[in-house]
Amino acid sequence: MDLLEKLDQLRARGLEKINAAADTQKLNDVRVELVGKKGALTEILHAMREVAPERRRQVGQLVNEVRDLFNEQLAQTRHDLAQALIAQKLEAEKIDVTLPGKRLSLGAKHPVYLILDDLEALFIGLGYQVVQGPEIETDHYCFEMMNLPKDHPARDMQETFYIDNENLLRSQTSGDQARVLEKHDFSQGPLKMVGPGKVYRRDDDDATHSHQFMQMEGLVVDRNVSMSDLKGTLEMIAKHLFGADRKTRLRPSYFPFTEPSVEMDVSCFNCDGKGCSICKETGWIEVLGAGMVHPNVLENAGIDASIYGGFAFGLGLDRFAILKYGVDDIRDFYTNDVRFLAQFRQEEK
Amino acid sequence: MLVSYNWLKDFVKLEVEPHALAEKITRTGVEIAEVKHPATGLKKLVAGHVLTCVKLEGTHLHQCMVDVGEVDPIQIVCGAPNVAADEMVIVALHGARIAGNEKIKRGKIRGMVSNGMICGLQEIGFSDSVVPMKYRDGIFIFPEGSDIQPGEDVYHALGMDDYLLDFDITPNRADTLSMEGAAYEVGAIIDQPVKVEPVSLKADGPAWTSTLTAEVDAKLAPKFYLRKVTGVKITESPLWLQTRLWNAGIRPVNNVVDVTNYVMLLTGQPMHAYDARTFKTGKLSVRLAKPDETLTLLNEKKVVLDPADIVITDGDQPVMLAGVMGGLNSEVMPDSHEVILETAVFDGTLVRKSALRHANRTEASSRFEKGINWDNTQKALDMAALLLRNEAGATILDGVLKGSDTKRKPVTVKTTFSYLNKVLGTTLTTDQVVTLFNRLKFETQVARDQLTVTVPARRWDIMIPADLVEEVGRLYGYDNLKSTQPLLAETQGGYANFELFMRHVKHFLQGQGLMEALSYSLTSKARATLFTKAVQPVAEVKMPLNSSRSVMRQNLLTGLVDAASYNFARKETELAFFEQGRTYDHADGQFNEHEHVATLYSGHVYRNNWEHDEAPVDFYFVKGQLENLFTTLGLTGIEYRAEKITGMHPTRTAGIYVQGDYVGFIGMVSHTLTQTEKPLRNSELYGYELDLEQLSHYLPTSTQAKPAPKFPAMSRDLSVLVDQAQSNQSVMAAIRQAAGNYLVKLSVIDVYQGDHLAAGKKSLAYQLTFLNENATLTDDLVNEKMAAVTTALETNLQASVR
Repeated sequence: MDLLEKLDQLRARGLEKINAAADTQKLNDVRVELVGKKGALTEILHAMREVAPERRRQVGQLVNEVRDLFNEQLAQTRHDLAQALIAQKLEAEKIDVTLPGKRLSLGAKHPVYLILDDLEALFIGLGYQVVQGPEIETDHYCFEMMNLPKDHPARDMQETFYIDNENLLRSQTSGDQARVLEKHDFSQGPLKMVGPGKVYRRDDDDATHSHQFMQMEGLVVDRNVSMSDLKGTLEMIAKHLFGADRKTRLRPSYFPFTEPSVEMDVSCFNCDGKGCSICKETGWIEVLGAGMVHPNVLENAGIDASIYGGFAFGLGLDRFAILKYGVDDIRDFYTNDVRFLAQFRQEEK
Repeated sequence: MLVSYNWLKDFVKLEVEPHALAEKITRTGVEIAEVKHPATGLKKLVAGHVLTCVKLEGTHLHQCMVDVGEVDPIQIVCGAPNVAADEMVIVALHGARIAGNEKIKRGKIRGMVSNGMICGLQEIGFSDSVVPMKYRDGIFIFPEGSDIQPGEDVYHALGMDDYLLDFDITPNRADTLSMEGAAYEVGAIIDQPVKVEPVSLKADGPAWTSTLTAEVDAKLAPKFYLRKVTGVKITESPLWLQTRLWNAGIRPVNNVVDVTNYVMLLTGQPMHAYDARTFKTGKLSVRLAKPDETLTLLNEKKVVLDPADIVITDGDQPVMLAGVMGGLNSEVMPDSHEVILETAVFDGTLVRKSALRHANRTEASSRFEKGINWDNTQKALDMAALLLRNEAGATILDGVLKGSDTKRKPVTVKTTFSYLNKVLGTTLTTDQVVTLFNRLKFETQVARDQLTVTVPARRWDIMIPADLVEEVGRLYGYDNLKSTQPLLAETQGGYANFELFMRHVKHFLQGQGLMEALSYSLTSKARATLFTKAVQPVAEVKMPLNSSRSVMRQNLLTGLVDAASYNFARKETELAFFEQGRTYDHADGQFNEHEHVATLYSGHVYRNNWEHDEAPVDFYFVKGQLENLFTTLGLTGIEYRAEKITGMHPTRTAGIYVQGDYVGFIGMVSHTLTQTEKPLRNSELYGYELDLEQLSHYLPTSTQAKPAPKFPAMSRDLSVLVDQAQSNQSVMAAIRQAAGNYLVKLSVIDVYQGDHLAAGKKSLAYQLTFLNENATLTDDLVNEKMAAVTTALETNLQASVR
């Protein structure tokens, strides 16, 4: 047979074999068979002696073309096989990404502390120091220094948990005011503090009463602090907590440790001031008490009330949480039911 | 107090409608909790004159023909026991609406047409507590002489067309607990003159004051005035008087009692009326009660008097609990003809405590406890006498018997206009301020910046300049104040270091997946001292609400175990709680508070999962969580010592020591506790509690960074066979000591005890990681260290190293 014919046959047969190789091992065998050192092409080259010298050049060129063709086709097939193998492996590794993940327990902040932390951040930004005082307080700091006379109803055994005649569970955080006022050195600058903490009252627990709850006391005292400053500060607190679109009003009130005393209401979030069952048809919801520090409180702490003055406010953190989160039973804050607490995970942003 | 809008018009010209007035009063003076309009929702209620009334045999019903102002009388079948001919009654016509939005329709009762309903007061919305006793179980009958015609709407005659403003007063504004006081307040708020008229009384009977001696302790009753009236005819009060009382929430009784209550509403001065026969010995005294004295009050409550109760006596026996309520033994009866009227000022604190002690607060006691106007004693007494002359045909005997008559000087307060403006943040002129005080009817004297204000006795709450600030501020209007921020020297806001530390711990634990709990500080005596290594004397409240909330806790874990029990009972058993709070004790004679943190875990490491990874929470999981906390705090030198703590599992609990000092414990809650708490039975609860104050002493100062190691570390494993009693901690200590400074990490990689080992032995395997930060370690050096470790273990711990 003519060498060229052989070459033609080899080309056809070789391409067929390459295409038929099912895996890389078989492809390698085909490679050895076609283009290996002892392969079919080499054989043809060895047969060149039989070719007339003037055609050798043409045959040699054809052999090279066939080799290139084979190598190219081998590489392509090798690549295809590898791709197929990867695809197969990936298919085998396939998982259902819609199955749920494996979860550890998830923490949550207590709703009352959500309010507390939020307010602390607000006040720290305004330059207030966060100060804490004792919960087992003396009658002296809790009442006497705060201008509550001896026979004031709050000092009844019925109202306050007394431990003995002098010591009690504080019924208000106001005692912190007295302690800070006594210590403050006004030559070092104005006094601006908030004092959060637990307080206790001798109330039976029900939906709206708790014998323990949390308050935050605020106090600003310096030479030039006015009731207008108090109004601006309270409005900021109310709008921060309940939204900038809330309307606010101040009403006269009474606390022994402030004069004048006021309470702040915000327009009802439920009915927007139209009147509903939540605001008892008034359109307003009471949120806090405040006032200008009573001169007796300043004088009791050794501060000259003719020079210094300021304002104080008391925030009920449980009450804020009740209003903000629509809680209808204060006891929910103290039973630690995980189904209740878990709702607040998303609140911390 | 419920203040009648219509009555208020007797004193002040009101051009503002009731709801707008209420809003103004709330913003300026006293919170108006509610504006009530009794006629709201009612329809077609008219007066009817019963012409004939026939009882239907064998029933409780009556067949009545009633004139309701139409051409023909209408037939109504009525079941009330007190219906009778010739009565003027309330008729709900066909199509009427009565209380509770109930509709009345023409209908048939026992086959007879009934064209409406004859009503009792409760049926048209009256509270049971104000309906006169004689009408409580039947229909209402207009008193004779009432100015009403058949067919006329009943609302006006019954006072139901009125608006009632509920004055929710603060303790300092008891001056508004009277119509006159409320009128002064409203007049000042709306800037209108107030017409409060004095009483001028001329007695028409003989002098009486020599017939009674009144011995009064002026400390108990600084003022004590009596008048006597005779010829009293006890009857039902006229309708105008009854409506004023019931609109104020007071039940009409009879003309004498009603007059005393009316005068109290008018002037704020509580009054009392005695049957004059009470004092037949001619003696009366005001004194403190004696031990074991008793008195039956008008409401038939029998009280054992306390030596701190003020009583009025007939010279011997108590006849009245002063300021609170009269005694049944001195009550004005239907046959009373002679009445002694009393107006007094009693010690407010003693009255308050009496009312509280005997659980018997009254309109009178609440006024005495908040203070009353000392200038109204005479006026109230004369007013009452006058009204009894008009309404009960009384003769007023000449003279007032004054058992005590302490005088009070009027209060004057001095301040400056600049002070008022400084505190309010305003720029009010002298004239503006004086105008405001004029509205209050306070006298003022002005000398340049100086202001002197004379305060009338009806405003006993005003004593110091700050009180004047309030009057000026509220009348000027808090709405008109500017809203500013304090412009003060710079202050740096923030937390004290310890506060920061506590918050860091809380945030870390929350990040570790724990839910924050908040528990009560008060617990039972037994629980207060559980979970406490060194129990201290407790802080116990004197009058607890109940025994389970009587003692301040000395540990936080108790609260978390309670929380676990609560949740377990609701099938929530996968728990991870933390609480940060205080513990309290009474060590060394003083009350101490300590900031603690505690955690409690139950259930599984992973929540329900389809991969069936069901590793339960155990001691080592919780300890790992705690170790991570310690790592973030940079604490070193931590030691765990097996320890027994009440409430904790005796062999699964460790005391935690930092640099030798006890800081808390970790372990499992004891079976004793979980087995006795039903929901927790057979559960395993793990947790720890730390004293954060103690911990804070060992916190490192800020980190000084060094570069990551440049040279490779080398690891070797080591298996050690020791006695079972030998703790891992002791083996690790021995390894560390012998291995030298290049040992940077030592981990336990296996623990085995069982069949393949000799009895009483266990095998511990460790990985030791060596690193020289300055050079590459050689095998020889590490081998040398390992040999030293082996020797140390063999000689010191009798261990065999494999």
